Amino acid sequence: MSQQAAATPPNLLSPEVLASLSNLDLVARAAVHGFFNGLHRSPQFGFSQEFAEYRAYSEGDDPRFVDWNVYARTERTYIKRYLGETNTHLVILLDSSASMGYASKKNVTKLQYAKFLAATLAYLAARQHDAVGLIVFDEEVRDHRPPSSRIGRLQSVMHAIDRAEPGTGTDLSVPFERFHQYQKGRGLVAVISDFYCEPEAMLKGVQPLAYQGQDVVLFQVLDPQELEPELKESALLEDMETGEAMEVSPIFMRSRYRERIQEHLGALSKSAARANADYQLLRTDEPLDGALRNYLTFRQRRG
Amino acid sequence: MTLLAPLFLLGVLAVGLPIWLHRLSSENPNREQFSSAMFLEPGEPRRVLAKSLQYLLLLALRVGLLVLLALAFARPALQGAAQALIEDTARLHVIVMDVSASMQHGDRWERAREVALEVVDAAPSGDLLQVIAMGRGAQALSDPTLDAASVRQSINALEPAFARADYGELMGSVDRMLRGIELATVVHVVTDLQQSSMPTRFAELAAQTSLELQLHDVSQPGDANWAVQSIVWQAGAEQVSASLSSFGTQPVPRNAVLELNGSRVAELPVIVPPDGTITVSFESPELSAGANRVEIFLDPGDDLAADDRRYIVVKRPEPRSVLLVSADPRARDSLFLTAALEAVSGPLTTVEPVAPAAIAERNLGDYAFVVVADAGVLGEAESEDLREHVAGGGALFLALGQRSGGLDVVPVTGHEFSSTTQLGTGADAFTIVGSMDNGHPAMAGTEELRMAKFFRYTALELQDGDQILAELEQGAPLLIDHALGEGRVVLFASSLDRAWNDLPVLPVFVPLVAGVTAYLAGDLTVQTEAQLGTTLSPRAVGLAGGQIFDPDGDAALGIAAAGSGNDVLLDRIGFYEVLGGGVTELVAVNLDPNESDLTSVEPNAVERWLNLNARTAQSGAAADLELAPAEPTPLWPWVMSLLIVVVVVESWVGNWHLRVRRGIAA
Repeated sequence: MSQQAAATPPNLLSPEVLASLSNLDLVARAAVHGFFNGLHRSPQFGFSQEFAEYRAYSEGDDPRFVDWNVYARTERTYIKRYLGETNTHLVILLDSSASMGYASKKNVTKLQYAKFLAATLAYLAARQHDAVGLIVFDEEVRDHRPPSSRIGRLQSVMHAIDRAEPGTGTDLSVPFERFHQYQKGRGLVAVISDFYCEPEAMLKGVQPLAYQGQDVVLFQVLDPQELEPELKESALLEDMETGEAMEVSPIFMRSRYRERIQEHLGALSKSAARANADYQLLRTDEPLDGALRNYLTFRQRRG
Repeated sequence: MTLLAPLFLLGVLAVGLPIWLHRLSSENPNREQFSSAMFLEPGEPRRVLAKSLQYLLLLALRVGLLVLLALAFARPALQGAAQALIEDTARLHVIVMDVSASMQHGDRWERAREVALEVVDAAPSGDLLQVIAMGRGAQALSDPTLDAASVRQSINALEPAFARADYGELMGSVDRMLRGIELATVVHVVTDLQQSSMPTRFAELAAQTSLELQLHDVSQPGDANWAVQSIVWQAGAEQVSASLSSFGTQPVPRNAVLELNGSRVAELPVIVPPDGTITVSFESPELSAGANRVEIFLDPGDDLAADDRRYIVVKRPEPRSVLLVSADPRARDSLFLTAALEAVSGPLTTVEPVAPAAIAERNLGDYAFVVVADAGVLGEAESEDLREHVAGGGALFLALGQRSGGLDVVPVTGHEFSSTTQLGTGADAFTIVGSMDNGHPAMAGTEELRMAKFFRYTALELQDGDQILAELEQGAPLLIDHALGEGRVVLFASSLDRAWNDLPVLPVFVPLVAGVTAYLAGDLTVQTEAQLGTTLSPRAVGLAGGQIFDPDGDAALGIAAAGSGNDVLLDRIGFYEVLGGGVTELVAVNLDPNESDLTSVEPNAVERWLNLNARTAQSGAAADLELAPAEPTPLWPWVMSLLIVVVVVESWVGNWHLRVRRGIAA
């Protein structure tokens, strides 16, 4: 039993493992490679940059992609096309509000988890030659990197993600407006936040993007303690964004609070569906697998 | 309230620890950050308030615990509360203990102590008590106090002395002590009611302040006493005699014993008649040179041992010569001096005139002292001889007469002249003595020196250690006591003839020469028998300084105080020894003969005394009464008890608080 446990490699997507890596780029690589290793063992979720079709060479095509073997056999020039060539862009909207700095015992903060996820998504997109952009926001836009597939863009985005620190309050309308202002083409929009806002407000921000033809995926990052809080005694809980303190009882946190948060999650999910956006709840004590899988499904759907 | 160890209060600073810990605690565990209060609802306010109160209670208990701990170590005590405890009806009991010598008779003192303690016991608990010792005057041993224990302690520590009681003086002293105290006062005089202690004027027994007098007589009828009342040394008759007195009703056989310097030299059996006096005479024993201790005592003794023995000091005089150095023995200064010296010393001293040049031929140590009538006659060699003589312990009387005018410095002493002042010879051109040191042995009986007129004098620059015995009105020293090595020089800054002053023809000239002679010769008539209760200083026996030892051999005036001019109170009987400059002088101190007479005051006199003070005692507040600091009442047992209670409560509250914090009770 112990030998088996010793032989089992550590889950590279576990937040604790990722948190032990100091370089965010390394985190992203580890997460992606770990994820793909997992895919080989689970073929039903298969996806790769593989050959898709041949197309007759036309003027202006890059001669590097001509399949010279086919030419040798048929004396016709065909261009070999791959799935990865169906390029799009990915813009990550990373919430760095103060509430994202929360972490319960043994867990990474929500912002840290969100940064892992953002970095991993960015790396994954870059690997597929997608343009990657980033908007870091709280009440204001703290950092904005328009999507680009140029060499060095990934590092720029990684650097911006790495610099993100818990700020003040949350205002979802700000990043959506900024996005709307600068991004005209269709693409993927990944919003990573704890979504401590009214579902209607979220809907109000997401819906215009959906109308614009953007594929929006909402990653809601929450700490397990926020979903199933456990208090042993009455405690004075202080809102990390507003500073408002409130003495709450354990009974309330065990019952009424959980009902409220679940209602909120349900409402968010419904609002996301209404905006034709994909929604996924992520717990900071769980690996990144689900998030990546969701993204790739989206990516595939988009391609 | 007072603190017996206030430094321990610094421990109060430790309260900062729980305050700091509670502050940390309040910042950390129960106040948690949460991502959003969006879905939160405040808990029940009463529960929140209870929790806050519980927290504050725990903090208060911990702070209180440390404060009480520091307070307990600081040993708080109640003091000064006595003032508040005095009731309006309270009385002041002044217990006067007669500590005169007669109280040493038999068991009088034990009875006196018992009576005094009974007075203390009988005093109501709210009454104030004070103890006064009546010996040489009245001495308060304590301020008025409610603390009966301390009063008992004072009474038990008290012992009778050798003093003489004086009831008149006592009433005066009590009067002064009670002045301003507006409290009903009862004065308990515990005494043997000696007739000899009564004042000459009966009115002196009346107190001016309002008080109730209670006399507690501790004498017993039939108390008898025999005493040596006096000793007379008759030099001419070569015998010593003593008066032996009886204060008893029966004749008693006694041996009168004569002791010389601690050795029994003679003994005479006598029958001392009842209530009478008998004189016994002994043949004078061979005296040693200098002071001799002579004691006569009765053997066997009686219940009052202090007056069974009497002491005198007898000095054996030695005839010595005075060397008078003069250029012309027939000159006026020499004549005046010779006459005065012979008048003073009588047959014991002779004056030997000599020319200055003959000084070298004489052994100066054979003379009591040397007189130079005019310093101007001394040559350098003579001056040096005299200087050596004085420095080795000799004595010199040096006058600065007419021939001294041409000198640069005073021979022998080296004093520099500041000026020689000629005022004239007329009736109005003179000066007189402005100030005198009457305490100096050489100046005894020279008060009339102020009558002398000085027409001319030489002003000298003083040297270290000079003592001015007389000073002219202009401030110039006239008579200087100058220390030179082991010896002394007395300088007279004018002439000894009539040229510069009229002193030689005034009556005071002889006492002045006598004083100087006695001082320089060292055989001053020493006050060899001093009265009990007076003071003694080395100067009083002709010594510039020295130590004084009491009859028990203990230093009454130590080396440190020697020469400081301090006096020693003679409060013991026996021989006091004065040591200084290689000389030992003795002073005999005897009991007042009045203390030997144990005759009690007549009952009617006692009654008159009581009636004299039988006034209605006023009652009043003790507002102006200065109370003796009573023994502080310790409060630390109460503080410790409170501390234990606080510890228990703190443990319980703290445990409850921790259980909640651990989630047990949540």
